[in-house]
Amino acid sequence: MIRCAPSTHQKSKFAVRLLVVIASVVSIFGCSTHSKRIAIPRSLFYDGQMQACREGLEKLAKSSRHDRDVVNLDLAVVDLLGGQAKQAEARLRDVRDRFDQLEQPSVAENTVSMWTDDQTRSYAGEDYEKILIRVMLSLSSLMHDGIDAESYTLQIQDKHEQLTERFVSTSGKEPTDYVPLPIGFYMRGMLREATHRDYDDAIRNYQAASSLLPGCDPLLWDLARVQKGVHSQPGHGVVYVFAMVGRGPYKVEVAERPTSDALLIADRIVSAVGPYKLPPTIAPIKIPDIVVPDSDVDSVGVQINAQRIGPTASLANIEELARKTYQANRNSIVARAVARRVIKKATIVAAKDTMGKKDGLTSLGMDIVGVAWEATEAADTRCWGLLPRDIQLLRVEVPAGDHVLNLSPLANGRPVGPIQQTKVRVNDGQNTYIVSWFPDSRCVSQITCSDAP
Amino acid sequence: MLRREWLSGLSLLAAAGFSGCRGYQYGHVIKPSAENLVGSHEAGAEVFDPLVDEAVAKLLARQQIPTEDCPVGQDGLPIKKTICFIGIENKSAEDIGDFKDKLYNQIDSQILESNSFQPISRRMVDAALHETRMRPDALMVPDNMRLFTAVLQRGGAPVDYFLYATLTSGTTKRNSSTQRDYELTLELTNVHTGQYDKLSSEVRKGYHKSAMGKIWNYNPLKR
Repeated sequence: MIRCAPSTHQKSKFAVRLLVVIASVVSIFGCSTHSKRIAIPRSLFYDGQMQACREGLEKLAKSSRHDRDVVNLDLAVVDLLGGQAKQAEARLRDVRDRFDQLEQPSVAENTVSMWTDDQTRSYAGEDYEKILIRVMLSLSSLMHDGIDAESYTLQIQDKHEQLTERFVSTSGKEPTDYVPLPIGFYMRGMLREATHRDYDDAIRNYQAASSLLPGCDPLLWDLARVQKGVHSQPGHGVVYVFAMVGRGPYKVEVAERPTSDALLIADRIVSAVGPYKLPPTIAPIKIPDIVVPDSDVDSVGVQINAQRIGPTASLANIEELARKTYQANRNSIVARAVARRVIKKATIVAAKDTMGKKDGLTSLGMDIVGVAWEATEAADTRCWGLLPRDIQLLRVEVPAGDHVLNLSPLANGRPVGPIQQTKVRVNDGQNTYIVSWFPDSRCVSQITCSDAP
Repeated sequence: MLRREWLSGLSLLAAAGFSGCRGYQYGHVIKPSAENLVGSHEAGAEVFDPLVDEAVAKLLARQQIPTEDCPVGQDGLPIKKTICFIGIENKSAEDIGDFKDKLYNQIDSQILESNSFQPISRRMVDAALHETRMRPDALMVPDNMRLFTAVLQRGGAPVDYFLYATLTSGTTKRNSSTQRDYELTLELTNVHTGQYDKLSSEVRKGYHKSAMGKIWNYNPLKR
């Protein structure tokens, strides 16, 4: 059988089809990023317009399939602060399970993303988000029935260990940036202490938390109490004030010049997917980066029945966790962007060669398409946007009964905003939990209480 | 030629895409006769199950021996002694996580099934600890013991014995291999006389960085 060589006309038809496919893909995915889509709901949240924020987020969750999980995380925060802890827990559980499932790579999605951008992949969550989902799950559970709170606190440690092991096995580096969050140990110790029986577990967990925060005096007081004392005196209960402070990390698009480490990883990707070679230099590429806005609040002052108790202490520095774990995986993100750039360029070159025409006009047209294709590529800025910079805590033992609790934002120990007030009910020998958020000098929502009168 | 290469590359990627769909997670029920998984980093069911079985069996065997001062009921049979299982204290080098409550229930259930003891409900024990605000390790102080037993008695649960369980461990290291000896100790104290009995069980376990670690360190021909 004699095979005829393709005619120039056939080649041209193929190249045109190829360009049509590219144009379709580009038009489908566009260059809008999550950070742009989420900007309005986020600003509504920080303005304290919770209902409008919720509506905006719900609309976004319905309209953008790829954003749904991260929007659900934001909605969970809105639920938790709005007193709907059960709904928050359900949302967080769904996203936790989905992120766990998405940890298994999909070659199909990875391949498509090489011709488009990372936004076409299902978002599997950053490592810090996976840990914080479990922290928020514990908190949500404590705010309504507390049945699963202890399990979630165990899951915080389990997930941290899994992520650390995975980081070591994939990067071959020491997991120095994967430091566990003290709040995970603290919450477990807090719950074991509340059994009035398992003080040994409480000691072990407070010791672990204290070793991560050596200068934290409240932790040392807690440790001393569980070593020699009891949860609370007869007729007393305990109030735990969880204060979310500041605005947390979110992602923005930046232009990055690839490092040699990233180029090495990119070379492996490019060699694996086709007959391409990495050029010696690469122009800056678009990647996501973590930013944390400045805040004029550093802690929250607590008063009970007009009596000053003290400021909250940091137990979860989310800013540090996000920056470190993201930085540890940054080279892989850069490498993917570099590989994508190379594959796109190679595709255009292949299309030009296929057409067989070397005339200037066609070549220029193809180059314009190539530039447009690369220009529409956007960084994947999907992230859990409504996170605080810090989660802080204060424990106070008070007589059983109803009390008035005042919270005020502090900067360098001085009040910088209006006082928020709520009533709490304290039961004999039990814990009552309070959650509030001060992103800046004013609280964005009501103070929620696990047991309000 | 270039077009053919490009197409073959694309088809390879497409094939890889279809074959690389995200998997599911699967589960299965383990038959009671099947062996437990052996934990690679810390103790699990393979250690705790035999520890509990052996320690409780020893305790029950010793307490079933009739003595002269053993009270007898109207039917001529020995009256069951009421036992207050205070809890498990973990003093081992490892965090036992969700195993603690499981171990409590295992020990409590096995004692309940015996003819020697009548355990007091855990909920009553917890309620008494809550009411008296006493630490479990402070109950052996005579005044505390009296107050605690009085609270239980008021709730209809007179106490003959306190039972404490303690999990301890000892670690031996040799280069990249580690041997950890786990010991579960049950301490039974008569609240009327102050006499106490103590029984323990032990399971030893080796942890190695390589598959040959076990053969290298525990080869019977070596020593």
